Amino acid sequence: MKKTLYIITLCLGIASCADIGSAMFFGGSGEYNFSNADLDTAYHIDEEKIHLFTVPSEDDTIHGLFLGDFSQIENDTIIVYLHGNGPSMDGFWSTVAVLANIGHQHRYGVVMYDYRGFGKSTGATQNAATMAADYDAVLLWLEDRGLTSDRMVVFANSLGSLPAGPAAAGGSRITVEKLVMEVPQSSADVIMQNATGLSLPSSMITEYNFDLGQDMENYPGELLWMHAEEDNVAPVETARSAMRRHEGSYYREEVYPNVGHGLRWDIGNEEWTRVIHEFILN
Amino acid sequence: MSYKPFMKKSIWVILAAFVAGCTPTKIVVPLEEGQVQVGATLGRPKINSGSLPLLGIYAAKGMSESTTAYGAAQLSSALFGAIQLDGGVVKGLRPSQGFTPGFSYSYGGNVFVSARDYAVRVYPEAGANMFWQKGPHILNVSANSWVDPTWFLAEYGRGQILAPSLGAGYRLRYKWLEVQAEYKIINPTREIHVPQAYVPSTLGLGGRGFYWGAAINF
Repeated sequence: MKKTLYIITLCLGIASCADIGSAMFFGGSGEYNFSNADLDTAYHIDEEKIHLFTVPSEDDTIHGLFLGDFSQIENDTIIVYLHGNGPSMDGFWSTVAVLANIGHQHRYGVVMYDYRGFGKSTGATQNAATMAADYDAVLLWLEDRGLTSDRMVVFANSLGSLPAGPAAAGGSRITVEKLVMEVPQSSADVIMQNATGLSLPSSMITEYNFDLGQDMENYPGELLWMHAEEDNVAPVETARSAMRRHEGSYYREEVYPNVGHGLRWDIGNEEWTRVIHEFILN
Repeated sequence: MSYKPFMKKSIWVILAAFVAGCTPTKIVVPLEEGQVQVGATLGRPKINSGSLPLLGIYAAKGMSESTTAYGAAQLSSALFGAIQLDGGVVKGLRPSQGFTPGFSYSYGGNVFVSARDYAVRVYPEAGANMFWQKGPHILNVSANSWVDPTWFLAEYGRGQILAPSLGAGYRLRYKWLEVQAEYKIINPTREIHVPQAYVPSTLGLGGRGFYWGAAINF
């Protein structure tokens, strides 16, 4: 018995705490050449409405993009877009351009930013704390320009659901009242258990123990959940279980058969914008 | 070598063998009594177009002519902050004679401890091996299963009690040295899923990969 305890103690001592979480983030370089040449003409953005900005987040610098007029922040609906697991917000340019033009050209202001270690944002995303700090830094920027909760829509795509969940559950300086979860994950434990086939908790490999089901339980506002039946990045079954724990003021789910994680590309802009606009106007 | 008569009562072992391990089969043919083997294993379960390097070390000792005990630690898990230890016993049922295969079975357990929050999981395991031994050459077909007694802790009811694996391998055992190569099909009873990664499967289920090992005998 003594030997066993000795071995376990020794192993605890040598077990380093490298975190696989950072390896799961696909942050990379960013060019930030946001050009209309890359967009369908229906979704063009006037050049004077494309604004790059930076905000400090603890010791790091977060790079963001705002589409629209700054005056909109004070008196119109603003969509805060939390992007998915790509190298930088470059890859989401066409998506935010569509969001900005829902309804009619330049209808909504849209803000998007790169998490630490993504694009030109410095540092490295490591856990819930860094995600929350980066989100808060951008929210502070919006708050300073007059955004209020009744005019804010948070739109989370895939990885973006990780900071969006805690924000909706009370961790946002501007209260989240409308939340779109597009192809979200469900929890860190689910990812661990789907990868191993065992009941292992995520704490075996990472400190990033997110739980979107718990967050949805604690979120009193309106939720639109959009997902794909054939999603092989964020399995629909566990996402459904997590999202349906929401008991807030309004809930809508749109799950599409025969499509994958790239939901907007698969279902088309017309259907995608129809559902989102109905939710915004609800 | 002469093991005890084949134990027909050990059918449970064969049945339980249709279950899985994330670690390589360390001992197929029991060591000689008093013999000690110290080795390292490298598991390469496939993911995307490459594979994950799962490095482990182990020690085994022949407790009797037909019984070998072993203990092992997975170093790759330690790198990410989890202690993964396993230990068990391999018992020979019948030696190989000519084309007639020999049989052995094993049982043991795996312990995972998180260095972050000290969460603990224990997974008993059992397996069966069929092997052909001629001189230093050993060919084996193995089946193994981990048992998940805390399957109910898996989120959203996705736990499974058994996690099986099937493998086939070759070992070269000399007096001082043993090397091994094994191909395993892991957890073929459920879909293995890693976000934004492709896990090569068998008919859409489980994972697969090569496992290697090298050991010194004393």
